[in-house]
Amino acid sequence: MNMLRENAKRAVCGALLLTSARAAAQQAEDPSALQVHGFVSQGYIKTTRNNYLAPSARAQGSVDFTEVGINFTKPLGDRLRVGIQFFAHDLGPLGNYAPQADWYYLDYRFFDWLGVRAGKTKLPWGLYNEANDVDAGRVPVLLPQSVYPVASREFLFAQTGGELYGDLPLGAAGSLEYRLYGGTIFLNSTDVSAQLKGFGVPYEAGARLMWLSPIEGLQLGGSAQALRFDFSFSPTPEQQAKYQMAGQLPADYAGVISAKIPIKLWVASVEYQKEGLALAAEYTRSYLHYQTNLLLPENKITNAGGYVMASYQVTPWFTPGVYCSGWFPDIHAKVPAGPDPHPRSSFQHDIAATLRYDLTANWLVKVEGHYMHGTAGLQSALNDNRPLDSLAKDWGVLLVKTTGYF
Amino acid sequence: MAGSRFVPGVVPQRRRVAFLVLSMVLGVAPGIERAARADAAPEFRVIVHPSNPLQAADRGYLADAFLKKVSRWESGETIRAVDLRPDSPARRRFSESVLKRSVGAVRSYWQQRIFSGRDVPPPELESDESVLAFVAKFPGAVGYVSGAAKLSGVRELSVK
Repeated sequence: MNMLRENAKRAVCGALLLTSARAAAQQAEDPSALQVHGFVSQGYIKTTRNNYLAPSARAQGSVDFTEVGINFTKPLGDRLRVGIQFFAHDLGPLGNYAPQADWYYLDYRFFDWLGVRAGKTKLPWGLYNEANDVDAGRVPVLLPQSVYPVASREFLFAQTGGELYGDLPLGAAGSLEYRLYGGTIFLNSTDVSAQLKGFGVPYEAGARLMWLSPIEGLQLGGSAQALRFDFSFSPTPEQQAKYQMAGQLPADYAGVISAKIPIKLWVASVEYQKEGLALAAEYTRSYLHYQTNLLLPENKITNAGGYVMASYQVTPWFTPGVYCSGWFPDIHAKVPAGPDPHPRSSFQHDIAATLRYDLTANWLVKVEGHYMHGTAGLQSALNDNRPLDSLAKDWGVLLVKTTGYF
Repeated sequence: MAGSRFVPGVVPQRRRVAFLVLSMVLGVAPGIERAARADAAPEFRVIVHPSNPLQAADRGYLADAFLKKVSRWESGETIRAVDLRPDSPARRRFSESVLKRSVGAVRSYWQQRIFSGRDVPPPELESDESVLAFVAKFPGAVGYVSGAAKLSGVRELSVK
């Protein structure tokens, strides 16, 4: 029955996209016309060991990797524009085809150097965060997870609030592109965990500054962001017993544990593009400060990650790409006692190679292989709740994805 | 053994095949093909509405106009860029000469902007005639056509 419902949803989405494509084609020559764009993606994930993003280690792999989106943009005069995108996806336990307004905005551009947007907008974080859903706009199937963790899509992709943006020409020194934003993130707490009783982001603010250098195709920049997660949850009886044995439950404990996690993060970015060649490198750090009503010492965690990536469009229909990525969830963690000073859960190395085939102007297929070393990027919940240190240290991932778009 | 005898200027068939395969693996052959196509490709001509007072435009400014990083001409008129279809030779030449990116890279740029809600690309029209009609219709319009196109109702803009 569920399969029938999902197939029906896919069919409706497909019909909607085709109808919209026809409307878009008819209105292509009128610059003030409503523009309609959409995409449908279907992916396949198979891992040699460990479940990654979906139940991928089983013999048949997983096809729980679907994305569908459609957007409408309408200029209202020369300076004002409105737009909205509807999006639904399924990635293992995430998404479950629940449609959502991915972004919507009212955009007024006073000058080229000053524009303002209000609504739900994608977060300008690093080079590619805004394009994380846009399979057609990049070479890899999965962007480097050290900087763009797809499992954190609900937290990192969009904010609701306001944004200032603009391009500042610097003459012979190139130009600057800036973005300043502030607001909040609305989350459905059940998307995060069924145990959560409340989840909120009281503030979220950040900026991105990119310098488009006088060297054609070279841009450098940085992004910074600050936000706070507030949540409360009811521990399971097992967890409660564990806290009690450790003497961590507060005197006024009434069955709920509350927590605040202020987070500051930044990423430094460099990208070079010349004709079909694209090179990129980014490095990020996040500072998390866990504050709960449990009787625990202050817990501050710093994680770090980065990658280098290259791709080259050999022909209009064929673009191979590679990247090497590393992520370290707690770079100041004490070295554990025992024979292994570097437990496998303390790092995730990822070497990936992609082949992108553009079969037509609106249809592409990608094949991607990853060699993974470490388990920091895995989730216990997807792996029978086993500790990450007990999962396979070296494993491989095969991804195949096809996308149609207009 | 006669087949392996060296003859100046004649590359044995097997060696030619091996060279071709190696070239394709290394991406050399497509580069040669691209260079050959570039030599044979027609030139393009940048055109604007006759009311546009600009006689010549800086290449970088034109690139920013087509990538929608600038939105107005010096006169204050809104820039309305228009592209030819992606497989058009004039589009390829324009993209490589003015935007300094392949058509594929430009399309990726627009896919990222479309689906992140940043902006929408210039319209892509099917033919020189459609581009000429578009540019003749809108005062702020700028486009390009193949070198062989007969200009009517528009004015050519030189690129510095």
